[in-house]
Amino acid sequence: MAVFDSPQEAFGILRPVCIQLTKTQTVENVERLQSKLHVVSDSALQDLQEYVLFPLRFALKTPGTKRESLVQSIVECITFVLSTTCIKKQDLLQELFSELCLCLSSPNSQQSAPVSEELKLAVVQGLHTLMHSAYGDIILSLYQPCTLPHLGFAISLLLTLAEQEKSKQIKTSALKCLQVLLLQCDCQDHPKLLDDIETKQLGDLLASFLPGISTALTRIITGDFKQGHVIIISALKVFYKTVGFIMADEQLARIPKDKEKPSVEHRIAELMVHRDANWVKNTGDKLAALIEKIVEFVSVHPHWKARMELIELVQDLLMKCRQSLLKSVGHLLKVLVGLVNDENPDVQCRCNNVLKNFADQRIVVESRALTDILSENLHSLATALPRLMSSQDDQGKYSTLLLLLGYLKLLGPKVNFVLHSVAHLHRLSKALIQVLELDVTDVKIVEERRWGPDGLAESSSSLSEPPLFKSKSQRKYFRFFTDERIFLLLREICRMLGYYGDLYLLVDHFTELYNESVIYRKQAAMILNELIAGAAGIEVEVLHETNSRASAEELKEIITSILEEYISQKNWYLVTSNEAEGNREELTMKHSDLQTITSGVHTCHLVPLPSSSELSPIVCSMNSNIWQICIQLEGIGCFAHALGIEFRLLLMSALYPVLEKAGDKTLLISQVATGTMVDICHACAYDSPRDLINHNADYLVNEISLNLHQMSLSSHTPIVLEIMFQNSDAGLLPLVEDVIQDVLFSLDQFHDERAASFLSVLRTVLAALARWFPEAKDDKQLQEQNFRKEKYDLHQGSATLGKGFAFTTPAEEIEQFLLDYLRNKDVADGNVSDADNEEEQPLPPETEMNDVCPDVEASLPVQTQIAKDVMERCIHLLSDKDLKTRLKVLDVLELCVTVLQSHENQLLPMVHRAWLPLVHRLTNDDPLAVLRAFKVLCTLGNKCGDFLRNRFCKDILPKLAVSLATQAPVSARAGPVYSHTLAFKLQLAVLQGLGSLCKKLDLGGGDLNKVADACLIYLSAKQPMKLQEAARSVFLHLMKVDPDTTWFILNELHCPLLYEPPHPSLHPVSLSGMAKPRTEYTDNVLLLLAELQG
Amino acid sequence: MALAPPSPQFVLRGSQSAVNTLHFSCRSKAHSPPLLFSGSLGGLIHVWNLETRRVDTTLDGHAGQSVYWVKTLEGQHLLLSQGRDLKLCLWDLAEGRNAPVDSLSLDSVGFCKGSVLTEGTQGCWLLAVPGKDMDEVQVLDMPSKTSVCTLKPEAGAKVGMPMCLELWKPASSSGPLLLAGYEDGSVILWDVSERSVLSRLACHEEPVMSLDFDSGRARGVSGSSEKVLCVWSLDEQQNLKVCRTQELTNPGIADVAIRPDGKILATAGWDHRIRLFGWKQLKPLAVLDYHSAAVHCVAFSDPGRPGEQLLAGGSKDQRISVWSVYNQT
Repeated sequence: MAVFDSPQEAFGILRPVCIQLTKTQTVENVERLQSKLHVVSDSALQDLQEYVLFPLRFALKTPGTKRESLVQSIVECITFVLSTTCIKKQDLLQELFSELCLCLSSPNSQQSAPVSEELKLAVVQGLHTLMHSAYGDIILSLYQPCTLPHLGFAISLLLTLAEQEKSKQIKTSALKCLQVLLLQCDCQDHPKLLDDIETKQLGDLLASFLPGISTALTRIITGDFKQGHVIIISALKVFYKTVGFIMADEQLARIPKDKEKPSVEHRIAELMVHRDANWVKNTGDKLAALIEKIVEFVSVHPHWKARMELIELVQDLLMKCRQSLLKSVGHLLKVLVGLVNDENPDVQCRCNNVLKNFADQRIVVESRALTDILSENLHSLATALPRLMSSQDDQGKYSTLLLLLGYLKLLGPKVNFVLHSVAHLHRLSKALIQVLELDVTDVKIVEERRWGPDGLAESSSSLSEPPLFKSKSQRKYFRFFTDERIFLLLREICRMLGYYGDLYLLVDHFTELYNESVIYRKQAAMILNELIAGAAGIEVEVLHETNSRASAEELKEIITSILEEYISQKNWYLVTSNEAEGNREELTMKHSDLQTITSGVHTCHLVPLPSSSELSPIVCSMNSNIWQICIQLEGIGCFAHALGIEFRLLLMSALYPVLEKAGDKTLLISQVATGTMVDICHACAYDSPRDLINHNADYLVNEISLNLHQMSLSSHTPIVLEIMFQNSDAGLLPLVEDVIQDVLFSLDQFHDERAASFLSVLRTVLAALARWFPEAKDDKQLQEQNFRKEKYDLHQGSATLGKGFAFTTPAEEIEQFLLDYLRNKDVADGNVSDADNEEEQPLPPETEMNDVCPDVEASLPVQTQIAKDVMERCIHLLSDKDLKTRLKVLDVLELCVTVLQSHENQLLPMVHRAWLPLVHRLTNDDPLAVLRAFKVLCTLGNKCGDFLRNRFCKDILPKLAVSLATQAPVSARAGPVYSHTLAFKLQLAVLQGLGSLCKKLDLGGGDLNKVADACLIYLSAKQPMKLQEAARSVFLHLMKVDPDTTWFILNELHCPLLYEPPHPSLHPVSLSGMAKPRTEYTDNVLLLLAELQG
Repeated sequence: MALAPPSPQFVLRGSQSAVNTLHFSCRSKAHSPPLLFSGSLGGLIHVWNLETRRVDTTLDGHAGQSVYWVKTLEGQHLLLSQGRDLKLCLWDLAEGRNAPVDSLSLDSVGFCKGSVLTEGTQGCWLLAVPGKDMDEVQVLDMPSKTSVCTLKPEAGAKVGMPMCLELWKPASSSGPLLLAGYEDGSVILWDVSERSVLSRLACHEEPVMSLDFDSGRARGVSGSSEKVLCVWSLDEQQNLKVCRTQELTNPGIADVAIRPDGKILATAGWDHRIRLFGWKQLKPLAVLDYHSAAVHCVAFSDPGRPGEQLLAGGSKDQRISVWSVYNQT
């Protein structure tokens, strides 16, 4: 399209259409004009501006009703012209302004005319463009006292549109236009800034409209929730720009006291306001109400952009109108305070920046007024807090607490003004304590038990990869809220208090509450923990750095005192289960054992507490106690983090109690305590809990030893000792030597009540000794083994010889064989005068006993001495009346033997003394004890070998053989359930152990026969498979001891081959098993013979 | 009065042999922690840090021979130790050093512990040790090691070997005095400068194992291997007089110590017990029953802050028990 640059050409083109429009005012003509305008260049149009505008304005001014579409197109056309040109004449501007405004006014009412939305939009945009097209200072001509009515009309028009229209577009355009009209446009088209005097004049002028504008805008902002955030944002912007302009402290400062003499006619002068102090105060008061409304509404607006704009509002108003809007400062700050923890990160960030900005400019801390306002707000919040906490729902609590947190953050060190007021501290703490009340009705926490020491061993070894500090915290359930965020918020509040507040004051106060009542105790402990964390600056986000924080030394002092409180007798040893220590454990233990025996299924261990309501108060208090301990444990972990490596010194008193709880039977306590240990490891730079225990064993030993001396307190001591042993190495031994003596001493004194727990300690001790000194298998043992091996090889040789003789028969070999046989027979008969065996001959035990003189004892290694001392006790306790004790003693005895194995001089006399009670256990005791005793016997056989041979053959073997024989028919007949019975287990254990026992004891002919006889029946196919297998193993061992006899015995039962004598002079071999039909024994015998031959 | 017997505040383990002697050093420097020195049968001196309750340093200077006296010189880093290797070692422990800087050969093979008196002038002190002859006591000027005098009872006295020494200087008198307990059970007060016996008191039938003297009250206490504890006083004429004896349940007092504030007397018994008495009236206060073997020595900490005075007992059972008793006055 051609563009006409010169005014002449343009005129030529436009003239006809303009004339036509003047004559007939139709939409078509307007459109024609507009289309022509498009081809005219901007500069040409500028020259012809008035000419072109004339027909359009003429059309508008023509009296009589016009069609709306015509008006709309005219307005649009004017808008177009204005958008490309600028107005250089004041009167033109004024005229156009009023003409445009009139388009929307109905001639006879105040209400805007009922015109179409399109027209309204067009007019608003026209006005908007008009304001932008005014050239330079021209625009100011609109803002003269005399134009006040026009201006007022336009403003009210726009406000009405913004408030009452349905269309979002109109609303936003109206608001934008209003912003321009108030000369607060934020676009780049207004290069000229007003000078001070102009600003002041403009302010004076617009002040007349402030009440109207602000109330209308407030109505808009706080109107329909659904109107969308865009409108709210625009309205907020207009609001704060306007208020910020008119109420600016800077302007108001220069307002003279007296009203200037009005230079305009009286009526208009009446409209003008004078912004004197009085006016400012009144307006400020009124605005405060509006601002409060706005703040309340928008700060919880669901859309983050609206909240963001609110922050801008606060920032702008606080920056410009701190003095004039003094009454609103509180509300405004509250916005920041509340939004500083907003869920939207952008809002949060912006809010933080604004706050930081204020903090940097020392607006809050330095300016007394603001601090006063903040503390006043905090005061009133603290006052209302208890009520709010009990009445609000989770969301309400959340926002209230957010606000609290915000105040604390904003006040920083000044928070002490509030804390130093006793009443307010009480209010605050009361609210915190109230809201933090735990829900203690869960029965499960009381019921869940940890079982056995294994669980702990597992957990402490798996802790070598320690979990994160943060993930440790056990989920707590609160009575008054369920939202986890509230708990996190409360934690942050406490930390903030600890960070800024007077730590001594706070700790004192909450310690007092802690001691005041059980009801407060858990919450107070929780708060104390967080206070300390906060004071140490753990995970605290701060606005102000403070230099009033507690020093490391003070912190340590405070922590030490809280720690003392936590682990004091009355706060640490709480009832957490309704059984007397050990009593119920025993019961359930038995129960579960029986279950295992009878059903073989490891079912639920829990003997559920009677779950009726009449017991629930007790359950509640136990649950509460459990939580109490857990919170305190968490606290200890927290203190460790607060002090870091410095905490090592406190381990002296803290580690023992924690370990005590790590061994607690209540699952939760034990878990939390283990977590605490991990925390301590992290804080004090230990690699693992094992490392921690190992390095601080001396502290533990100290506590343990002191506790053992005071028997009344020491019910937990065995547990700690056990844990310590599980986690330490041989380096511990010199330290614990005297403690073990203490244990033995206590055991001697209190073996009635405490035998069970001490025995488990002794078992741990000896297990540890066995683990630490595996080199106990010294040279002597090895030599002996070699010796035996040689001997065994010899036997083997003779055996193969024996088998081979059927084919090669040199007379000397036979002779040699017979000689060997005779000698072996001698040996087997127990006729051991042979020179070969002399060195193995054990000395009579009596002389051994005498050998043990004191000076030999002194040179014994510590572990041997301990094992010996323990074994001594075991001998006494083997005949204890309590089955459980006997079982434990048997376990310990076995370990003693293991530790003592390399010291025969010590071991054998002890075994001699232990023998008689052991035989009693084996022969007439509960099957459980028999089972365990047989295991001990196997170990003994392993370690002491032939020392026991005669005793075994004399005291035990006959009874064992009898019991095997009598039990055999039972097991042969039994069904599948039998394999779960104790009897079966006993049979199995005996058969499994007997073989190697025979070999170790080096039994001879007659006794071997007894064993073989007793076991033969179990080769029957009728026996359970497992027993058959075990019986076969017995024979496999027997083969090694005496292959020939075994061969013979087996062949007597079933002989698969016929043996032809190699020489007629020899008798034919006849074995009773020959040529027998297949029997129940055949299969097993064949298997064994194959093994023997192979 | 059925109070449960107290238990030790803590127990120090790890000396690995019987503990012969103990000495506190709690107020040396502001930054150094309170220390406890112990000398053991095994010949080692352990320096215990009472804050961590662990051994800070182990000093080995007596060739594995039993150490039976340790003492620090106030305000200095100097430590004295006397061992069965007939040597008295002088250690400088500043900056973590751990080797003897000087030593003095002794001639006596007995068990008599030395005694030290710090003179007014900086760096000079008197040392009393058993001398060459059996019944002699030698007084030396340190650190120059010059002999000041030799105190030998007159020929017919037959007091036997000195068993324990206590040098002190009364406020009134000019010269230093020495209290010495002898094998025959007598206590002799010597005037060191005059080299003369001022008073002799036969208070025990058996050798005097240990004595301590409260110069403020001019009263002292001695214990022997018998069942009796003997308290004697010194009058203006420098005469020793028995003022009271205290019968004990079991014989054998290895060590006695009066608390620096003059309120408590502690005894170390061969019966494994530490006994506490009120020093004024010798009222039996408590029996501290912790050790499982004879207690060889007791020591009180130098008065730090009130309420923080510690008592330590070292025993043949290789443990050192540390007690905080009768502190709330």
